[in-house]
Amino acid sequence: MSHHNIYLMVNGKRYSLEVESDRSLLDVVREDLNLTGIKKGCDKGDCGACTVLLNGKPVNSCMVLAVQADGKEITTIEGVARDGKLDPIQVAFIKHGAVQCGFCTPGMILTAWALLRENREPMREEIQKAISGNLCRCTGYVQIIDAIQSAARVSRVNNE
Amino acid sequence: MIGDFVVKGKYVGAEVDRVDAIGKVTGETKYADDLRLPNMHYGKILFSPYPRARVLHIDTRSAEALHGVRKIITAKDISGNNLYGYEIHHHPLLVGEGQETRFVGDSIALVVAETPEAADQALENIEVDYEVLTPLTSPREAKAEGAYQIHPGSQGNICCRPELIHGDIAAGFKNSEVIVEHTYFTSRQEQAFLETESGVAYVDDSGMLHIFSSLQDPYDVLEDVCYALGIPKSRIHVKGTIVGGAFGGKLITTIEVHLAAMVYLARVPVKIVLDREESFIFHPKRHPDEIHVKVGSTRDGKIQALEAEVLSDAGPYSGRTPEVLGLTVSALVGPYGIPSVHLTGQAIYTNNLDSGAMRGFGAPQAAVARESILDKLAGTLEMDPLELRQKNFLKPGQETLSPVLGDSPVSLELLKDQILEKMGPLPEVSPEQNKRVGRGFCFDMPVFDVSAIPVLGKSGVGIAVEIFSDASACVYAGGTELGQGITTVLAQIAAEELGLPINKVFVEMSDTWTCPRAGRTSASRLTYVLGNALLLATEKIRNTLLSRAAKMLEVSKDELILENGKIKAKGSPSKGVGLQEVATVCSNEGLKLREEGWFKYPEDRYMYGHTFMASAADVVVDLVTGEIKILKLVNIHDSGKVINPILAKGQLYGGSLQALGYALTENLIVEEGKLITPSFSEYLIPTAMDIPEEFVADAVETPYPTGPYGAKGLAEHALNSTTPAILNAISNAVDIDLTTIPVYPEHILEAIRAKETDHQ
Ligand code: FES
Ligand code: FES
Repeated sequence: MSHHNIYLMVNGKRYSLEVESDRSLLDVVREDLNLTGIKKGCDKGDCGACTVLLNGKPVNSCMVLAVQADGKEITTIEGVARDGKLDPIQVAFIKHGAVQCGFCTPGMILTAWALLRENREPMREEIQKAISGNLCRCTGYVQIIDAIQSAARVSRVNNE
Repeated sequence: MIGDFVVKGKYVGAEVDRVDAIGKVTGETKYADDLRLPNMHYGKILFSPYPRARVLHIDTRSAEALHGVRKIITAKDISGNNLYGYEIHHHPLLVGEGQETRFVGDSIALVVAETPEAADQALENIEVDYEVLTPLTSPREAKAEGAYQIHPGSQGNICCRPELIHGDIAAGFKNSEVIVEHTYFTSRQEQAFLETESGVAYVDDSGMLHIFSSLQDPYDVLEDVCYALGIPKSRIHVKGTIVGGAFGGKLITTIEVHLAAMVYLARVPVKIVLDREESFIFHPKRHPDEIHVKVGSTRDGKIQALEAEVLSDAGPYSGRTPEVLGLTVSALVGPYGIPSVHLTGQAIYTNNLDSGAMRGFGAPQAAVARESILDKLAGTLEMDPLELRQKNFLKPGQETLSPVLGDSPVSLELLKDQILEKMGPLPEVSPEQNKRVGRGFCFDMPVFDVSAIPVLGKSGVGIAVEIFSDASACVYAGGTELGQGITTVLAQIAAEELGLPINKVFVEMSDTWTCPRAGRTSASRLTYVLGNALLLATEKIRNTLLSRAAKMLEVSKDELILENGKIKAKGSPSKGVGLQEVATVCSNEGLKLREEGWFKYPEDRYMYGHTFMASAADVVVDLVTGEIKILKLVNIHDSGKVINPILAKGQLYGGSLQALGYALTENLIVEEGKLITPSFSEYLIPTAMDIPEEFVADAVETPYPTGPYGAKGLAEHALNSTTPAILNAISNAVDIDLTTIPVYPEHILEAIRAKETDHQ
């Protein structure tokens, strides 16, 4: 197995790493960087629990090789709260009961975060579509959708 | 009635934020796979490739020689019984040479290695010779005469055979003017929790084995580890980590016995995390059932008799099957008063995947058969299905069948009114669009465990609470946080009772070292049993604090109230003392500030309390494609006082969507004992695109006399009643009988075609 020297910008911090060519971004972030907030639900691209933002776009990090992410910017759930202050999406997830077991939550929040950057006023159907790759077995999604809508409202007010 | 019964509480009944939410939204919460120990190794399990085979020879030499491999373990290395299992210890930890495997989830060898990759390589290098044998893959075949016995000594491969008799069934059918009967087939449903089975363990310097894993019952794990490996119970500490979903799939011991064996024999800390396919194979699923049901009624719709036979695929091990099938059988009656009943079930061992607990514990299967046959009966009687149900609703004071307690105020009429109001008029679709709209109902009487005596002995369910001199408190509760929100519910109750702000109350859960025995986290039991135990414990602490404060304030104890971190005299608010001051004095004087509460239901037998649920669905069916769209889905639940409305709604939505999956997509297919659908791209659970256009969850709160604040259990309940509502809506839309779930578009088209051929 060949080794590669790569660097990743993760949550604004630069990491230089030596990785084997077949390792997934998910494994490298969880094991080598010890950022365990992202989860492994399937390792096959089916569940979205491993979602990170790669240059601002949500991806299933289990389906991305670490070497493919070389030089790119990555946001994990640990990078969403700024200066110890929760993002409005995180607050809304708590307030609306959008969290149960929490295993899907980090991925769900990152997907929502990317959505709200592109679409400040998403309709319910747009939210449903955006999060359709993030499985949640606990909540039935209703409170998650409520939370994302409410976070969008709060962010609009904050930005006005 | 909604919100009518409010014990005025600052926290109880309020929309309190989850106490464990911040860690979950920031990613800080540690699940089992997020834990790391110094010198931690990785454990992997070699599973049997065959559902039934005799292990002739296992050669581990080349695997052992690989770089990074610490230890390979086979049956001959195990010094204990090498067996585990809930109630019946017949599940081998490792199938050894000369023994037979019983399903593809049986373990042959364990690998401990420095890296997951080295462990995988070792798995590939273990050489096993098998004599492949023909498996039994259907209950009918397995119960037939002459079939080989999966557990030697059993007869007809019978795992259990519950029977429920009430009244005179022959007379019941004699009094019936109309009799309908039908057979229903339900699928094998996978819990599909997102966090696969995982755990870490190590042995400390004093020889104590510590297991941290994703589980539902730390006490059961402790029993199993002791039995299988011969480790004294006093040397085992089990701590349930925050669980990423379980839904019954982690109710029996999963990887913990394997983990303990690895740690003990390899003498290093070990982590096991199953991959998704292994998880789908490993834990028991919802039983696939064949239910034949026959119901007799008078012309005007008074049901006289109900007879049913359930044939259930138990898989290879007993586990929770007897409990689950027992509940399937009793849930066939549902919330109806039926004078004569004869219900039997048979769970048969097979070499298929294992069956066991999944949310609803067998009641969802029963509800499918019960509510479908009721609609069929309504059709035969040419009666409105809702009217038929209403005519047969359980009446206040009417007897329920054991083990269901009939001590809940009956609210079925109220639920019926509410659901009709919420549903409104049936939406119209113009006929030329080749679409048909239909509505279906289901009423249910889901249960929750109140007794737990057979599980825990006479002591009942324990909890401990401690208040510290800084006026912060900790609750030690042996239940497990699976996502359902029990941590928050207990914090709400403790804060309410101790007059503390909720951020001063901490809840430590699922730890056999610090928590009194509380039993399993299942059967929607924790709010009821732990809530009651908690009230007993906090009452003792309140007493201590109030008595001491009474002396300090020189007033009688009865005049004092405890709220907002203060103890105050009722009449003269100026007279008061801070809780912190009182707690400090108590602590300095050596008064007891840690108390236990033990709750047990007065009756010494296994039994369930119950809630009431009404569900209704509107669907539109496309006659050309068979496609089904759910326009509206409403669930209204009477689970007594709701301690936290946001959490309760979350349970209703979540359970209901699992039921939608059960109705329309979820089918874990096993052929010749092997899993055909090993991933989320083959086993389809609902996504956010699959939710009903309008999805409503609401509650009616009729207080339950013996519940904490009048509360009952509720977590599982929406799963029971949603599936039949959807099935009945489809049948209603296109006027067909549905007999098998999940219902795919092609089934609908077939049924429509069959009906047309019949009519020609
Ligand atoms: S773990 Fe990456 S999609 Fe499931
Ligand atoms: S909260 Fe459990 S999977 Fe979403």
